Amino acid sequence: MSNIINVGWMYPDILNLHGERANAKSFELVSKKMKVKLNIDRIDNIDELVDFEKYDILLFNAGELKEIENISNCLNNQKESLNKYIKENKVILLTGTTGALFSNKVERLDGYSFEALKILDMDVKERDSVIGDDLYYIANNMQIMGSQIQMIDITLNNVKPFGNIKYGYGNNGNTKEGARYKNVIFTNALGPVLVKNPWFTEYLIKLALKNKNIQLENKKINYDLEKKSLESSKEFIDKKINS
Amino acid sequence: MRKLYFIFVLWGVKFGQLLCKIFKQGGSMISGKVAVMFQKNFVKYFTNIDYDKVIFVTGTNGKSTTTNLIYHTLKSAGKKVCTNGEGANMMSGVATTLIKNSNVFGRFNKEFLVLEVDERSLRNIFKVLPAKNLCISNLQKDQVQRNGDPDFIYQMFKNSLNKDVTLFVNNEEPRSRSLEDYVDKTIYFSIEKNIKSFVKNDFYDVTMPCPKCSHKIEYEYYNIENIGKFKCSNCNYKSLKKSNVNIKDIDYDNYTFKCGKDTYKVNYINPFYIYNYALTIAVCKKFNIGYEDIQKGFETFVNPANRREVYKYHGKTIHYLRIKQENPETLQNALDTVLRDKKSKAIWMGLYEIKDFKPAYTNTFYFFDCNFKDVVKSNVEKYVCFSKTVCYDTANRMIYAGADEKKIKVYDVEDDFDIIFEDLDKLKTDNIYLITGMKPYKKLKTFFEKGDKNE
Repeated sequence: MSNIINVGWMYPDILNLHGERANAKSFELVSKKMKVKLNIDRIDNIDELVDFEKYDILLFNAGELKEIENISNCLNNQKESLNKYIKENKVILLTGTTGALFSNKVERLDGYSFEALKILDMDVKERDSVIGDDLYYIANNMQIMGSQIQMIDITLNNVKPFGNIKYGYGNNGNTKEGARYKNVIFTNALGPVLVKNPWFTEYLIKLALKNKNIQLENKKINYDLEKKSLESSKEFIDKKINS
Repeated sequence: MRKLYFIFVLWGVKFGQLLCKIFKQGGSMISGKVAVMFQKNFVKYFTNIDYDKVIFVTGTNGKSTTTNLIYHTLKSAGKKVCTNGEGANMMSGVATTLIKNSNVFGRFNKEFLVLEVDERSLRNIFKVLPAKNLCISNLQKDQVQRNGDPDFIYQMFKNSLNKDVTLFVNNEEPRSRSLEDYVDKTIYFSIEKNIKSFVKNDFYDVTMPCPKCSHKIEYEYYNIENIGKFKCSNCNYKSLKKSNVNIKDIDYDNYTFKCGKDTYKVNYINPFYIYNYALTIAVCKKFNIGYEDIQKGFETFVNPANRREVYKYHGKTIHYLRIKQENPETLQNALDTVLRDKKSKAIWMGLYEIKDFKPAYTNTFYFFDCNFKDVVKSNVEKYVCFSKTVCYDTANRMIYAGADEKKIKVYDVEDDFDIIFEDLDKLKTDNIYLITGMKPYKKLKTFFEKGDKNE
């Protein structure tokens, strides 16, 4: 087994809404700090068969809801390989509206609906208005700060949330944020969420390392700038709550 | 009965306008708001409007400049024209414009009506004012807290269109151009590859999904961010070989370009402006305005919404570039301005929380849609990032672009500019670029003006 972590950056031009390319770059920069060998491949063509065997982490950034059905159809043709990938505890990160891709069913505003990949047991309904706000939650003892532009409401069925909300709308205005099944992680925090929270990137890389039985030297990485960013965002949120 | 009610409301608001004038009070903008409050479809009842000569201008970026440019050029050509110049681009603003330009019976007294229209208001305004001309400058990400993703606005545009509308679109902007499928007549404008065109080939560069088949759009080159000669990697959708209006032979030094055989001399020149000129030429040609008249308009045009100012402060030249926060194109435009200056420079970046709509939030997405990498390579002595909310994220964006961390100073300070500019005198360079959103503009302007007097 190779000691390189291979990241598949899925459909970068199509799942590209809010500066999410920075999440791919975050894997590069954080892995360097961790002294982990990491390779990123772009998977540009939605018709292309994905070499699931090769990858340890798949990154699906936020995209427009209208693109989800096409991608779902393409991946459904490779569902067996995708299921095997997930069963092997390999890592998938889904951000923003792209969470809908792994849901059961997506209902559009005009009444049209389509079935998605049915990997995360949750249902998705398009909203008639946008909610844009900060999103602050705790997941796996990590503080995660981001923003969300929520165009869908998500109802979790038989799937666990990824985090518990401290501030923000999350899945549908209750206290739950995102979803997690094995190492498939979905968060509503979109944009450069991994840049703002490099400890989240580190966590994903560590999951992939563990999965490959690669030992990592326990080294504390300096995230001083990002921690200051977190504190200033928390201060801003506190002011919002108290105003 | 409704028409009678309209006359009644019109008299009321015109009387209100008269009182405002007599007592020298502002408030002329309120008249439209009041009228629409009393009668929802107020705009519908104006008469003598030739809908063939009603021109709506909408889109993400450039709609104010293009509206002003079309209005000014038609006026220079001797046409009787009016516009909602104060930027009032929603229903109430349209109503105000019509109130001002009609008699007491609501008879419109101009030949042309050129209106900047807010993207989200387009459909409702079309219902009461069925313009036959719709210009879309471009359709990009903007105000995501309100507009979500571009498809949200695209659907609104699509649902506003009907076959009678002549659509003016940019041949090199894939998203808005694809609206051609919903009208019978489309007029295309474009600019040829020129010295400011560029290609992107970095691993992290991304394009967009094809609006027709959802596959990757590929650009042969860009004229500005997301706009350039394109083709879909899957279907036949691509830039047309020939547009109705095509700008070529651009001379950025001498402020000239050619369209057909005609050479235009202009006051403002960058690729973004040239698209605005191209769209204006396209509109003018439809209404048989000749070259001399268009040229006269262009050479006398002064843009009231220019976002660039220059100050002298402590012996340094401060190039102050204001951006619309949350809008990557205006930030990229500012970065391109910095990039074009090859001299040594320092950059102050003051990006704040987004407060356009409630709740305010700390969105920093748009930083990463922009290309900072080339700026980082452009002889920068120092970076200063300030604001109470996102200064650390701004600094991190520079680091992600490869900036030397030792050159970056962060001020977790809202608007104490004495502190923020404390290191100015220590710099070798006297060439300073300051980029901020609108929030600190007035305070910064006062700070620099006061500083000038104190020197």
